[in-house]
Amino acid sequence: MTALPVYIAGIGIVSSLGSGLAATRQALAANRCGIGPLCLFELLQGAPLPVGQATPDTIAGDLPRTHQLAAAAALQAMAGSSEPPEAVIVGTTTGGILTTEALLRSNDDDTAHYRYHGLTTVAEEVARRVSCVGPALTVSTACSSGAAAITLAMRLLQRGTMKRILVGGADCLCRLTYFGFHSLQLVDRTGCRPLDRDRQGMSVAEGAALLLLTSSRPEHPHGLLAGAGLSCDAYHPASPHPEGDGALRAMQAALADAGLQPGDVDYLNLHGTGTPDNDLAEARAIHRLFTAPPPLSSIKGATGHSLAASGAIEAVVATLAVTEGLVPATTGCRQPDPVLDLQPILAPLQKPVATVLSNSFGFGGNNCCLVVQAPNLGPRIRTPTAAPQPEKRWLALHGWSCLTGAGDLAATQQNLLAGHTVAGPADLTAVSASLPARQIRRLKRLPRLALSLATGAVDHAAQAEPPSGIFLGTGWGALSETHDFLQRLAESAEQFPSPTDFVGSVHNAAAGQVAQLLRATGANITTSGGDYSFEQALLAADLLTGDIGQSALVLGVDEGHPVLSPRFDPSIGSAAALADGGGALVVGRDSTKAVWRVSVPFYRSGRAEDGTPALIAWCGGRQALESCCGVILAGIPLGSQRLGEEQLNNFLAAFKKPPPVIRYRPLLGEFASASAVAAVLAANLLQDDALPESLTGGPPVSLTGKTVLVLGLGTCLTAMEFSRA
Amino acid sequence: MDALVAELKQKLIDILNLTDLTPEDIDENAQLVGGELGIDSIDVLEMVVMIEKDYGVVINSQEIGEQVFATLNSLAFYIEANSAAPSP
Repeated sequence: MTALPVYIAGIGIVSSLGSGLAATRQALAANRCGIGPLCLFELLQGAPLPVGQATPDTIAGDLPRTHQLAAAAALQAMAGSSEPPEAVIVGTTTGGILTTEALLRSNDDDTAHYRYHGLTTVAEEVARRVSCVGPALTVSTACSSGAAAITLAMRLLQRGTMKRILVGGADCLCRLTYFGFHSLQLVDRTGCRPLDRDRQGMSVAEGAALLLLTSSRPEHPHGLLAGAGLSCDAYHPASPHPEGDGALRAMQAALADAGLQPGDVDYLNLHGTGTPDNDLAEARAIHRLFTAPPPLSSIKGATGHSLAASGAIEAVVATLAVTEGLVPATTGCRQPDPVLDLQPILAPLQKPVATVLSNSFGFGGNNCCLVVQAPNLGPRIRTPTAAPQPEKRWLALHGWSCLTGAGDLAATQQNLLAGHTVAGPADLTAVSASLPARQIRRLKRLPRLALSLATGAVDHAAQAEPPSGIFLGTGWGALSETHDFLQRLAESAEQFPSPTDFVGSVHNAAAGQVAQLLRATGANITTSGGDYSFEQALLAADLLTGDIGQSALVLGVDEGHPVLSPRFDPSIGSAAALADGGGALVVGRDSTKAVWRVSVPFYRSGRAEDGTPALIAWCGGRQALESCCGVILAGIPLGSQRLGEEQLNNFLAAFKKPPPVIRYRPLLGEFASASAVAAVLAANLLQDDALPESLTGGPPVSLTGKTVLVLGLGTCLTAMEFSRA
Repeated sequence: MDALVAELKQKLIDILNLTDLTPEDIDENAQLVGGELGIDSIDVLEMVVMIEKDYGVVINSQEIGEQVFATLNSLAFYIEANSAAPSP
């Protein structure tokens, strides 16, 4: 049985083809190309390469460009809609990097100027503008980010607890991506020509598309999201699997999710970046899936490749096909490559289309396919969904690991029991020693920490199925690679950017490495939610882990970087106070083999007025909270201490006699994924059945029959509960 | 030419972080890419940058690249043939 369809109720789009659905439709119908020489920023040398540059609607304020693009698309999507969405999910890879590049070049070290650097600030800005106080989540899976975000939103709506979600992708042109793709020799100097015999690569672009998705039928739906499929190649950091294995599995999964056969597809919207390898691998996957491929095209010769935005932009293009019969051309393609053996559409067509399959593939072997259908294929009358499930959801917890300044799980536990803080930088030499030397030779700090956490957790969960899904939360991503790429770029006067550092700098590079090491070919999602990144990863794991058998690895990891961390992270005062590490959990649905369980996180904006009562209700009410909760591990980032303490006091007021509260950040370190270490600490405390005196500051407290609550406070209000299964 | 080969071996170890190797471990006549050193497309691109930076020799097409990077010897030969300055 297939899941309920989800409706596309509103659309906002900004790309090199123009702003708004009407302009986009017009450009595609006219086969217009939006690609031209870069003029957004000055180059130190050389002629500007062709790019897809957008003209964002004017947005007030000093927001970085990705935020502006996203905000413009969000306002378009919500026009005529008075009710705010219950969640916002944005796919992005660039965040505030364009602004950061300029700040770093001028050696600016004022943390306030970097406040929009983090990827999460794009989703937060969108949420703020549309008055959403629910979860504002960020997905960063390179070029499949937009499509992956839409998949998460679909699953969340299909749960029946939410009715409206604003979702999509946004990325801006910046030096990192412009020079990065150039350093990989993936840019066509004459402009992108997908599927052409002489194609030489992509055109880097920018844009945003946001879609308002609803679980009930709106008056004028733009289409139905009927299915989605995710996979990971687990093959190479930057090259697709040559036979298109992962692409094939993602297409199959999306069709199966929609309850369709390959023959049902009326139009296939290709990933079609125009790089020799992508187009070839995609063509091979298509020939493996379809006996006779459907009409197909890639719009990237018109828009350029807008990275995280592209999957969402192409979902919008799919709605134009199913509502207006507009099938776009493969702009830029003159002589289809005979080796590909496909007949791409070369001029825009007008024909009835009921079902579109849209492909998005990215670095890290990250694949996501969506099925969009004509709105008349949906139920005429809204099928009553399963009753909303406000109750807490649980995942079986099979194993865990952590890394801190003290070392691995055992060393961390030992130090905490002895009453020592474990805050500090993880020992990279020790971490590296346990990893395969050849596989990590190109990897810097973050991916090594992630690989060590992954192997530690999988070893600890020996009883569970090997994880097929990887969910990694990181507040700041691969800072060493990002820093080194930008530094070498600047030092060489933009002549010698490092391809290795570029590939390593993408937020999902570490999760891709973990997938390669574990041969995990299921969903591979990287989330970035500042201090709540790990909680976002756990939410994603719950949404994308199948009902039976499967297990997933959920990681939270961050690196402390002497130059970037003090600038980016408002909780870090100076480079001297750097701490890093993370935690990992192996979770699944099969509770028969599990002794422990972890709840799917409660997740709200810290601005939500009803935050505390909603959290108490989530905990089962005052009485249940009072009788069950054995200890609270409270995460108050130094950067939002006043707000965090206030939220904590409001929450503790619910108790007649509050349980012990441990503020874990001073113990574990000020870094974005400290909550992942706190999660591991919670599991360990349950296992030991007692709270040692080193942590209570008084006599030991028994945890028999109790739960451990891990709170995240500050700009967001989050909670994870750990208990015996 | 021998000096250039020796120099390239050391550079290879340094830029590709092949910390478990010494220059003697690298056979200049063995297959360079996809061989037992585990060198892939990203490494080739990193070498392309190094060769342009250190020797002023540009390699910007895949076809030329495949011939040039067949072995360390072929790479040294190409650098010597195309370098404006005499090799060290």
